[in-house]
Amino acid sequence: MVVEKIAVIALYTTIAMFVGILFMGVGRKIVARVHNRVGPPVYQGFIDIAKLLTKKTNISHGWIYDLALLFSMTGIMLTILFLPIGGVKLLSMEGDAFLVLYLLAIPALGFALGAGASGNPNAAIGVMRALVMMLSYELPFVITLIALMIYYDTSSIAQIVEMQHAKWAIMIPPFVLAAAVADMALQGMLMEAPFDIPTAPHEIASGPMAEFGGKHLGALMIYKAGTIVAYTTLFVDLFLGGGVVMHDGSVLAYLANFAVWFILIFLVFTLSLLINTSFPRFRIEQAFKFYWKYEALLAFISLIWVYLMVIS
Amino acid sequence: MLELIFAVLLIAAFATLFIKSGRIAAIISLIASAMPLIAVMDWANDFGIKAFSFGVENSMDFSIAGITMHLSITSFAWFFAVMVFSLLPPIFLFSYSFFEKNNGFFPFMLFLITAVFGILLASDFLTLFFFWELMAASSFILVYISRDKKAIMSYLAFSVLSAVLILVGIALLYSQSGTLIFSDIVLNADKVTVSAIILMVAGFAVKSALMPLHAWAPFVYSKADEPFVAFLSGGLSKVGYYGMFFMLFALPGAKILHQYFNSGVATYLLAVIGAISAFIGTLLAFMEDDLRKLLAYSSIAQLGYIAVGFGIGSSLAMAGALFQAFNHAFFKSVLFLAAGAVAYRTGKWKISELGGVGYKMPFTFMAALFAIFALAAIPITSGFAAKWLLYEAAVSNKYIFITPIMLIAGVGAFLYSFRILYGVFLGENRHDDIKEAPLPMIAGMFLLVLPLIIFLIFPGYMLDMMHSALVDAGIGTISHTNYVIRTGTASYNTLAVVIGMMVVMIPAFLIYVLRKQKKVDFKDNFLAGEPYEFYGYISMHAANNFYKPIEDVIMPYLRKGAISFYTALYNAMGRVSDASRKIYTGLSQDYTIYIIIFFFIIVGWLIW
Repeated sequence: MVVEKIAVIALYTTIAMFVGILFMGVGRKIVARVHNRVGPPVYQGFIDIAKLLTKKTNISHGWIYDLALLFSMTGIMLTILFLPIGGVKLLSMEGDAFLVLYLLAIPALGFALGAGASGNPNAAIGVMRALVMMLSYELPFVITLIALMIYYDTSSIAQIVEMQHAKWAIMIPPFVLAAAVADMALQGMLMEAPFDIPTAPHEIASGPMAEFGGKHLGALMIYKAGTIVAYTTLFVDLFLGGGVVMHDGSVLAYLANFAVWFILIFLVFTLSLLINTSFPRFRIEQAFKFYWKYEALLAFISLIWVYLMVIS
Repeated sequence: MLELIFAVLLIAAFATLFIKSGRIAAIISLIASAMPLIAVMDWANDFGIKAFSFGVENSMDFSIAGITMHLSITSFAWFFAVMVFSLLPPIFLFSYSFFEKNNGFFPFMLFLITAVFGILLASDFLTLFFFWELMAASSFILVYISRDKKAIMSYLAFSVLSAVLILVGIALLYSQSGTLIFSDIVLNADKVTVSAIILMVAGFAVKSALMPLHAWAPFVYSKADEPFVAFLSGGLSKVGYYGMFFMLFALPGAKILHQYFNSGVATYLLAVIGAISAFIGTLLAFMEDDLRKLLAYSSIAQLGYIAVGFGIGSSLAMAGALFQAFNHAFFKSVLFLAAGAVAYRTGKWKISELGGVGYKMPFTFMAALFAIFALAAIPITSGFAAKWLLYEAAVSNKYIFITPIMLIAGVGAFLYSFRILYGVFLGENRHDDIKEAPLPMIAGMFLLVLPLIIFLIFPGYMLDMMHSALVDAGIGTISHTNYVIRTGTASYNTLAVVIGMMVVMIPAFLIYVLRKQKKVDFKDNFLAGEPYEFYGYISMHAANNFYKPIEDVIMPYLRKGAISFYTALYNAMGRVSDASRKIYTGLSQDYTIYIIIFFFIIVGWLIW
């Protein structure tokens, strides 16, 4: 039983990581096509990571610098375990949305620790921007999350997914607004333009990544791949029914749900890329104001709407 | 046996008054502070926890000058006693290295402990008030040692405010119920009015630094000796919450308030105040440059969560609040002690002047790192379980205002946590000539980190500990096993998190096998060999003005804070006093006129 569970966990983590790395390649291809370039092949992510991981790393900035990235890779994989993937619950019955919110902080804080330990001022500025971005987008995001929790009267993501079997959340009027808000928050979580402030390559030399090379950079790319899967899956689980279309427990249903989940996270990711290619970068205080003024207001309207629906 | 504990504490307090050496005083204090802990452990048997028995009786009557003091332990006092008294031996262990000379810290700390022991044992309001005043006086002297005018004046003003509120509250309670003994008042609870309860709760809230009664905290926390501040923030603030717990749930004040307002508006207001404390405290914390002030604002924020739990008042929320109180006692003590250890070696408090300390003081850094994880509620320490219970409670009650504010304050905690980690321990290495903190300091800090790790894996033990307190207060507990907490809407399995983490760490570690690497000094990597004296010391530091962009946006809204309100009040009172002094003109005609006016007023009043 336990061994079985661990095997499933290992399988899904591997799949999620592969999907993430694939998406990084696909993303570069899509961006290239929007720019009217040919772009690298879709498997470029695998090549890059394989190259980086086999490289010899000569430089270290101390044990925090080495262990912090291990910490962020672990954190992001752990987060994925607590998200239902295509209706497969993995560990998501053992925790809830609050746990996921805080688990998502483990990789971010690990990354920040590593960047801090590198001692590079650009990295410090990048981390500062990343944390301020986190504070910015979390406010509208948690408000939409609370709207969902109040509507479905549960804080467990697995149960929110189950309750969307009849009707996806996005088909209910207030959650259209909430999903739009959460999608802009997702843009910030994925660090895509107009919110690619933390890693802004032209301003602060890729920010937190500035000092990382070789194996460390390879690990960072895996972490980045993980974040793509984790955040898009979170969005799909919350608003698009987790991609569950059949729920009879058969093998066919298993595969169909997995396929739909894959298509949905791909669509969400593509949408974010298209926004990315169409907008220039905000300044950090503009992003902060955008999230705390307009996004938070919209999110709060949807929350009050849901609240009135629930109490009436 | 109970008399013996009081006697040992007081004798030790008087003995340390005359000892010059800080080392000897620390050892005496360490032994004396273990005494109440032995009693607390002994009483665990009374509340469903198996422990050693030393035969300490759990109640005592003590007569002095015709007044009888009733002392006995209750289940909720016991829970608070566990957290307060287990802080003390590690803090004294730390102080062994911290104080070379005994500057008055040890005797008054021991008086303070005696007072806290008395407060938690008191079973009538007269005893409570007596020990409360002893606590206020001894802690005031500990603040006075700092010789900082702002800290002394603000602490004195707010201590007096707290004492007055509590005294008036006790007087009201006595006039309404005709007795001062707790159990009799509980029986006559229907006669107690809301004004008494609100006054008492406000009086206790001063000690727990709840906004807007927090104005003393940043000054005191940033100036007094670190081991005392660790106890002030970790222990004494919980004594304030013990008082609030007693008034709201044991009395039960929450029910009286509920009946009076015919709705839960008063307790809801307490929860809102707590949430706003958490939010504003967090915002102020991450813009602060002084490490101790940062920790002070963080204390205000973290203590705000407890008030939220008390305000919501459901079994879930109360479990979360007590858990949060316990966690806060430990992680905030560790952080203040770590700040003390850093200052002991470097002599600096400003984050923009520190940096790279973690490379030279790895063990201090490790202890601080765990404490910070607990503070930021990262799910690899017990800090998360407490916050999780509070969030669950707020969501299941459909509080649409409190929940987002609490959550965003939780995110803000990452910001100031990173400020500490980067600005003090990591980043630019500016201290090549410092050593690791002395062994007793490190031992003290690690002893305090231990519970954070134990209750990560077994939050059920913590819930067992608070079980009888919650049942006695009529709140009820939540269903749990040793490592799974279940609520109506979700469950949290700590073992799944820990094992899941270990499982995914294996492949991550395999991908990432470490090889022999060359250690690169940070001066090579971004200064390219140039001396930083060349650029000026502070302005070059990346941790200087760290959150400037967000500060520019938020600060205009926060400028008119509570502290400026109290300053304005202080100035206004000064002006009023100045104006009233003008009646002393020194002319006998004026005084004659006053007497005539007074005479007419009296006559007028009599005719009326």
